[in-house]
Amino acid sequence: MRRKIWRDLPAFAPQATSTDRMAIANLHGWRVREPVSGRRYTVLRLETRQGLVGYGECGPATRAEIEEAKAAAFGRRPHESEFIRHRLAAFPAMEAAVNNAFLDLQGRNTNTPVYQFLGGPTRFKVRVQASLEGEKEDALEGPLTQAFQRGYRAFSVPIPARDSMWRMQAYVDAVRARIARMRSLAGPDLDFVLDAAATLTPGDAALLATALEKNHLLWLDEPTGVLTHDALARITEESVMPVGLGRFVHDIGVFQDLLRWGSIDLLRPSLGLNSIVKIRRMAAIAETHYVAVAPYHNGGPIATATGIHLAASLPNSFIQQIPFPSSERDAAMRTELVSGNQEVAKEGFAPLVNKPGLGIEVDERALDRYSEEKV
Amino acid sequence: MRRRDMFGAFGALGAAASALRGAPQKFSIGCGCAFAPASAIPPGSEAFKDVGSKLRITNMQVFGVTLDEKIARSDRPYVFVKLETNQGVVGWGEATLEGKAGAAMACVNDLRDFVVGSDPMQSEHLYQLMYIGSFYRGGPVLGSAISGIDQAIWDIRGKVLGMPVYELLGGPVDPRGVRGYYHAQAWTLDAARELGDRTRQAGVTALKFQLPDLLEWIETDRKLKRAVKHMETLREGLGPDIDFAVDFHARPSPTVAAILLREIEPLHLFFAEEICPPENARAMQRAARKSTTPLATGERLIAAYGFSELIDLGIVDVLQPDIAHVGGITALWKVAAAADAAGIRMAPHACEGPVGGIASLHVDAAIPNFLAQEICGFVEAGEMNRVWEDLTGFPAMRMAGGRYPLPTKPGLGFEVSEAALKRYPFQGTRPFPPAFQEDGSLASL
Repeated sequence: MRRKIWRDLPAFAPQATSTDRMAIANLHGWRVREPVSGRRYTVLRLETRQGLVGYGECGPATRAEIEEAKAAAFGRRPHESEFIRHRLAAFPAMEAAVNNAFLDLQGRNTNTPVYQFLGGPTRFKVRVQASLEGEKEDALEGPLTQAFQRGYRAFSVPIPARDSMWRMQAYVDAVRARIARMRSLAGPDLDFVLDAAATLTPGDAALLATALEKNHLLWLDEPTGVLTHDALARITEESVMPVGLGRFVHDIGVFQDLLRWGSIDLLRPSLGLNSIVKIRRMAAIAETHYVAVAPYHNGGPIATATGIHLAASLPNSFIQQIPFPSSERDAAMRTELVSGNQEVAKEGFAPLVNKPGLGIEVDERALDRYSEEKV
Repeated sequence: MRRRDMFGAFGALGAAASALRGAPQKFSIGCGCAFAPASAIPPGSEAFKDVGSKLRITNMQVFGVTLDEKIARSDRPYVFVKLETNQGVVGWGEATLEGKAGAAMACVNDLRDFVVGSDPMQSEHLYQLMYIGSFYRGGPVLGSAISGIDQAIWDIRGKVLGMPVYELLGGPVDPRGVRGYYHAQAWTLDAARELGDRTRQAGVTALKFQLPDLLEWIETDRKLKRAVKHMETLREGLGPDIDFAVDFHARPSPTVAAILLREIEPLHLFFAEEICPPENARAMQRAARKSTTPLATGERLIAAYGFSELIDLGIVDVLQPDIAHVGGITALWKVAAAADAAGIRMAPHACEGPVGGIASLHVDAAIPNFLAQEICGFVEAGEMNRVWEDLTGFPAMRMAGGRYPLPTKPGLGFEVSEAALKRYPFQGTRPFPPAFQEDGSLASL
């Protein structure tokens, strides 16, 4: 008899039988786009044989990826998140959307909020941060005031784009001036994140981080795109400015390595690329390094709700980023997509919603209206 | 009886001792539980029958001591261990463990078969038996239990040999006593000035303070500023001649600690304590690299093993084992020895009862790398100090001229009054009081 090799071994349970009412029978996806900012994200709708529906959001995806997700999820039951995490490892956005939809289904099936499913609430409200869009200060001021009025007390501000004609010292002064202006507009006791969007070299980032230490930013976000630990050590050895990064990372081991080398002060896995079950694994590792987690979020309102459930359940969550559209049309879209939209805060915190699943209702007709493609 | 006579007497009492070893008997213990030990002969002790003394531990008692909540924190009833011997010499030790009094008492009793019937002159062997022989290496419960027993064994050793424990350990390095510091708080500049005056008048040279806020792993401008401002106010009010330490109490992450440490560098703190939680030494190193302020840690670490990574990586400047948790005199001395070789100083932690505090003084007095001894008391003696005097018969752990005077009698140098213990009966375990952040999540207090 031929000896079984490891590939033959059934590492995971087979698909559910055709009589299992919780098995996934249908999967649809909408590729949606905000009309003004052009921000794209994907919403998956998973339906069980008994007709229970759950939604999961992720970042931009292709039709082929959604087809792959469908193949992976079909016949699976919503508790099989580890199967999905492995089966869709090469399609991180799909892993996020399917596993998050699984959690929505689990919650709805058991009539409990997702945060209860994830080990129960560790906090009764979740600190949130509005990420402001715009290149110039003038464009940032209006949204800052609006976000303050909507209860936000922490804000992410983009750094100015730097071209090679801009002397570094003058650039540092300009960044400092931008922070000062934002602070003066918003008043005392407000907090800021400076989003470098992976645009700086490690050397420039180190210089900027050191120059801004006394500004007490919450952290310097994604200072560089170079995530090797020797590159990051240039920043972390020179400066006490907290460094948050990881918006492009979807491999748990990458974060483990950054933590091991002391290269990171705040884990920022994207909600668009990582399911919350995966981020919980990252967070468990970060906890032993006394490092907090604040998921990056540049998607839609369904992922916002997901992020709040995650933050509620984690002991080491710090803040949940929420995109703050500067255009009214984009804001309207986000409101139309879900009822129970949580993208509003009270004194800097979002409340938990004690309703089954993600605690929101998705409006599929709104998804149709804003979708570029329905799969 | 002179000590040499006493040793002689061991031989004469040999028959009685053998009779004791051959006869398992019931022991009653203070916690109300009672066990008949499996054997009166501790495992492995037969091998020493020709080389050991005839001194034997014949009984072990555990006392829980609860003070009124208004006098002392309710989470830490004192756990005292009393060992009796066949020569009438008794020894006292302290196994107090904050929030876990019942577990510490039970664990002392769990070690009973190792202790009763053993030769207390074999302090090192018994330490090995309790720590290594327990298979599961020490956490705080086992560490505290071993600490209580080990201190009592050393008390007996000193009494039998007629020397204070610090002499057995090679001291005193400085016969004038042991430098100490008290706890203090001052939230305004005026309060800090007034405290500074009182401190100088009392001859005290060092104090320790807390941070103003609970902290999270990333912090806001407001809380960072408050913490730095608080420490600046303390330096300004106390003046340049009083050493002051600040206990971060593991509230910050390394990330937040690095920011604070950088900004308080010009204040020249005595040391900053527990700048982040204690489990991950390399994480602490991240912040430690960022500052010249001396860093101290170690009150929650157990046995010399618990300190080896901190010492080997050279992360901190000061180690703070607690003699009631680390493994008693034996373990505290070992940590000090390893620290000395690495140029690290010792400021042992003590925030429990008087027995452990005094035991710690003996080690302090015998180590060249000693910095200062903590005690959870204040510049002005309070009600707690009155109780301590009631328990020990002298003003225990009170400084004169900035130092705790060294005991001069053999052993630990004092007796615990059992009559006094009865005045503070054990009222049960109370948990360490947890603290919570604004959003209801648990904070590191």
